[in-house]
Formats: sequence, structure tokens, C-alpha cells
Amino acid sequence: MPPCPSPARRALSGAVILFALALFSGALLSGPAAAHAVVVNSDPVAGASLAAAPARVTIRFNSRLDHARSRLLLIGEDNSQTALPIREDGDPIVLEAPLAGPVAPGAWRLRWQVLAVDGHITRGDIPFTIRGR
Amino acid sequence: MEQFLDLYGFASVILHAAELVARTVLLGSVVFWTLLAVPEGRLMPPGDTDRLHAIARRTAIIAGIASLISTLALGLLGFAALEATLDISAGALLGADFVIFTGLDLLAMLALLALALPRGVPGPGRRWGLAGAALLVLLAVTFGSHAIARVEGRSMLLAATALHQAGAAFWLGGLPCLVAALRLTPASARIVGQRYSRLAAGGVGLILLGSAGFWFGFIGSVEAVYGTAYGSMAASKLVMMVLLLVLGAMNYRLLHRIAPSPEGVLRLRRFIEAEMAIGIAVLAVAASLTSVPPAMDLPDDRVTWAEITERFTPEWPRLTSPDHADLAIPALQAQLDAEWQQRQAAQRPQAFTPGEGLLPPRNATDIAWSEYNHHWAGVMVLLVGLAALLDATGRVPLARHWPLVFLGLAAFLLVRSDPEAWPLGDIGLLDSLRDPEVVQHKIAALLVVVFALSEWSVRLGLLRGRVRFVFPVAMLAGGVLLLAHTHAISNIKEAQLIELSHLPLAILSVVAGCARWTELRGPPELARIGRPLWPACLIGIGILLLLYREA
Repeated sequence: MPPCPSPARRALSGAVILFALALFSGALLSGPAAAHAVVVNSDPVAGASLAAAPARVTIRFNSRLDHARSRLLLIGEDNSQTALPIREDGDPIVLEAPLAGPVAPGAWRLRWQVLAVDGHITRGDIPFTIRGR
Repeated sequence: MEQFLDLYGFASVILHAAELVARTVLLGSVVFWTLLAVPEGRLMPPGDTDRLHAIARRTAIIAGIASLISTLALGLLGFAALEATLDISAGALLGADFVIFTGLDLLAMLALLALALPRGVPGPGRRWGLAGAALLVLLAVTFGSHAIARVEGRSMLLAATALHQAGAAFWLGGLPCLVAALRLTPASARIVGQRYSRLAAGGVGLILLGSAGFWFGFIGSVEAVYGTAYGSMAASKLVMMVLLLVLGAMNYRLLHRIAPSPEGVLRLRRFIEAEMAIGIAVLAVAASLTSVPPAMDLPDDRVTWAEITERFTPEWPRLTSPDHADLAIPALQAQLDAEWQQRQAAQRPQAFTPGEGLLPPRNATDIAWSEYNHHWAGVMVLLVGLAALLDATGRVPLARHWPLVFLGLAAFLLVRSDPEAWPLGDIGLLDSLRDPEVVQHKIAALLVVVFALSEWSVRLGLLRGRVRFVFPVAMLAGGVLLLAHTHAISNIKEAQLIELSHLPLAILSVVAGCARWTELRGPPELARIGRPLWPACLIGIGILLLLYREA
């Protein structure tokens, strides 16, 4: 005679509860994650001291980017922020934008935020200095 | 909004781990249903056939709902984070690749759920539908994975990702169904087990193929294994995979080489439960791995073998609290200052997840304080392990009170974890509770008290029933926590060296949890192995904590 169905149901619910409990405990205690896109190189390089600002800035990443949903800001010493127009038809792993107008001597930061095509968001700063001529 | 961004990284790891476990079980239950329950059910008595289909159907529905919720929540989180940080409309965000693939994934899961809902044995059309929907889920997640963002070797990495995830579904995803199916009549349970072991062997093959692709596409060298967070996490995943293979081999032997017996089925259940626990830990590592840059992309600032041997050369534990008058502190501070200046001079571009922020510069007293905390925690865990081992011999009645040592650990956590706050610092208790981190520490101390008292009551026979499982589940959860905790996005050497010290702790904790679970659940001959094994793991954890260093 086959046994009644309740033990199998109990075992299944026990297994699901175990999975859920362990997952919940682990997930609850997990720390923040980093993301995927990292800077491979840039122009200007981080920490550069330049006589004059370049005509355009480029940042090369290790991942393919969604240019339309990425952002590039030029931030001055006084925290003033200028959004730079990102070129959307360029290299898929490069964030490129022209620097329109003169950039005054002083300390500047390129603040980038990229959306990689896998959905990860990453951000960071590239500091550089314009010495003036 | 800033608070939301602060939570972004934390929440994405939670949801990613949840999504991965739920999806693996969803795909695994479809494999179990279509490739095992349908063909093998024909060979079973009608009652067993119906129950086998019911098990697969119910697991697919539960896992499907969990997958839907976690995938939707993960997609919404990414969407909200972008909307919060970019000056573009929500409509413009809808065209993002990850939004499209999340949508396809959700649609495929909905189709799968719709096909799973009707009761009864699925006919050929429904079976093909289930398999097709599962394949669509797999394709949607593959094309939304990191492989799609790669510049080189994208096709190979997409194939590796699909094979790896399919292998996990074949091997680990069907385990909840399998453990439930062992309750069928013994002959049917054996048929299920034998068929599952063949599917699982196929799953192992797929995982190995996928892993080979990841090695060539994401890691690339032995130096990257120990030198980067990605490499060391992948190595710890490999260690746990070996543990899973050992358990799988024991299952295979029980199912194919040993004559069937009720005792054998019980052993099988314990092995499968351990596989499920380790499987969750492996998937937690996998979730964590997908959130760090591949080792290959970080050729600079890797931890060297010489740095690892220097860091892990045993030194006498720091058992006295740091004092500014301590002569060792200025020397250590000078070394840290020199390292900081060296890093600043390098001026490498850093990258962060929204809300992650910069790692604060370390101070020698901070390090000494942290090492002192780890070392005294090590003393207490070592004491617990030794007392539990004595208790296992049954010759020292006093040793059964070992859970009380955890009360000392709780008191230690309460006093030492937040030096700036009550009782050591100037900030009062109520004021300090405005800081979420302080609240977390106080709750952790409180949980250790609850856990110690409950386990002590179990030992004294005052509490019975499921409260016995608090201890092994807590150990498993602790291991998973260590495996899925914070990782530095760029190669921050100190973070990596600390990571390397925490990974063996995590694996020992997972093994200890499985051993204690087995001791509690039997059968007797397995319980005899589990009884000394988990105290031995605790002793190992205690020793590793005593040897822990941050500089």
C-alpha cells in the first residue's frame, strides 16, 4: 500500500523553508556590492597636471556602455557642475565628450557615471589640474 | 534620494542572490519534471506517479513566483537608481538593454508559470512548452549577463554563461524536488534517485565546460586567482564545488552500488540536504562574483604571493587592547602612512557603485582595535569548539554548558563593536541608535544571546523540536554572509588580503552547519561523523581568528 501523500508534501515544504531561511539569512547580512565597469585609461589621466585643457576628454572602460544612459560632468573647485555632451556613435567602450569653451586654471574633476549594457551602474571621479600658461 | 543610493549596492546583492537561487530551482524543477518525472513516472505505481508530478509542479510554481518577484524587484531597483541619477525621463530608460532583457525574462517566467499551473501529468505539448519557456528564461538571463558587456570573446562567454547556469539547474536546481521525492515508496524513490544522479552528472559536465570559458575569459592566470577578489571568490566556489562533488559521489554510491535500505534513504536525505546548503553558499558566491570586475580587467595592484605569505605568517595574538603608548603603534602608523602616500602617488582612477563611497584611510589604532576584537573572538570560539568536542565524548558533563561561552562573545560585541558609543564612548545609548550600523551591532549581540540561551536550553533538555536547528542554520547563514559580503571594485590590496582571510572562515562555517544539521537529523552512523566534525570546524575558525591580521 502506498504511504499517504502528506510526508512528501511536508518534505517539500521543509526543503523550501530551508532554502528560503538560509537565503534570507545570507542575503540579509550581505554587504554592498561593487560593479563591473572600471576605467582602463583616460585622457586626461587621473592626477594629470596640464598646461591647458584638452579639446576633448575620453575615458576607456572594460565593458560596453549604454552611452545614452551614461553621464559625464566637469566639476570645478567651487563645485560648479557642467554636463558634457557624450558622443553616442563612438567606440562602445569609450566615453568621449568635447570640452567646449576655455577651462580656467585650477583643480577639476571629471565625474562619470556609466550604465554597462549588462545593467550595472558604476561611477567615479578623475581629478586633474590646469596649470595655465 | 541619497539614502536610496546608499542602499542600492546592498539591495542589489540581496536581490541578485535571491534571483539566482529562485531561478536555479525554477529551471531545475522543470528539468526534474520533464526529464525525470515524466519518463520515470510511467514505471511507478499510480499513486507515486501523481505525487512525483505534484512535487515537480508545486516546486516550479513556488520557485517561479519567487523568481518573478526577485527579478522584477532587481529590475525596478536598477531602473530607480538610473532615474535618480540621470536627468532623463523614465520613458527613455525603457530602451536600456537590461530593461528589455528583464522584460523578456519576466514574460518567459509568466509563460512557464501558466504552463505549470494546470494539475495532472503534462502531455507532450505542455512538456515542450515548459522546456521552451525554461530555455527562454535561460537565454534572457544569459543575454542580460556580464558576458554581453564584454568586448572580446563575447560569444564564447555567452555560451559559457548559458552552460554554467544550465549545469547549476541540472545539478542543484532539482534538489528540493529530489529530497521531497525520497518520501515516495522505496522502489520509486530509488528510481528517482538513480535518474537524478545521471542528470546531475550531466550538470557537472556543463558547469565544468562553463567554468573553462570563464577561466579563459575572466581570470586567465594563477596570479589572478589569489591576487584579485574575483579570482579568490572563484577559488572558494571551486572548493565548495569539490565538497558538492564528494557528496554527489557518495549519493551515487548509495544509489547504484549499495543494496536499498531505509537506512540508505536516510543517509541520502542528509547528503542531499547538505548539498542544498552548500549549493546556496555556492550561488551566494556566484551572485557576489557577478558584482565585481573580472580578474583579467585588473592587472594592476594585485596582491602578490609574497604579500600573502607575509600577512599569513602567524604572529602572537593581540590580547591587550590598543594603547597609544604602545610602542608598536607608532611604527605601524608610519608604515600605513607610507603605504597611503604610495597609493596617492599612483593616482589610479577608482570606480564605485552608487552609495559605495571611498574607503576611509586606516589608522594604526583602528587596526589594533580590530585585531584585538578578532583575537578575543577567536579565543571564545576556540573555547566553544574545545568544550563541544569534550561534550561529544560524553565524559565531561560540565562541557555541555558550552553555549554559555557565547554569552561572553555577546557581551564583548556589545562593549567593543562601537568604541565611540556607549558604554566605551561619549555618545549615549539612545543617541547612538540613530546610526544604523550601531543598531546592527546591538541586534547582532542580542541575537547571539538568544542563540546561546536557546542552544543551552536544548542541551539541558528544556527546549525540544525545531529550535534545535537554530544553531546549524545560524552557522550556515554566517558562512553565506562571509561569502557574499562587501568587495572592493578596484584592486584595493588591503580589502583583498582581508577577503583572503575570511574565505576559509566562511567555508568552515558552512561545513560546520551541515555537520551539526546531520548530527541532529541522523541516521546514527552519520550523526557519529557529524558530532566531532562541527566542533573541529569551530576550533579551526577559532585558530584562524587568532591568527587574523590587518597589517
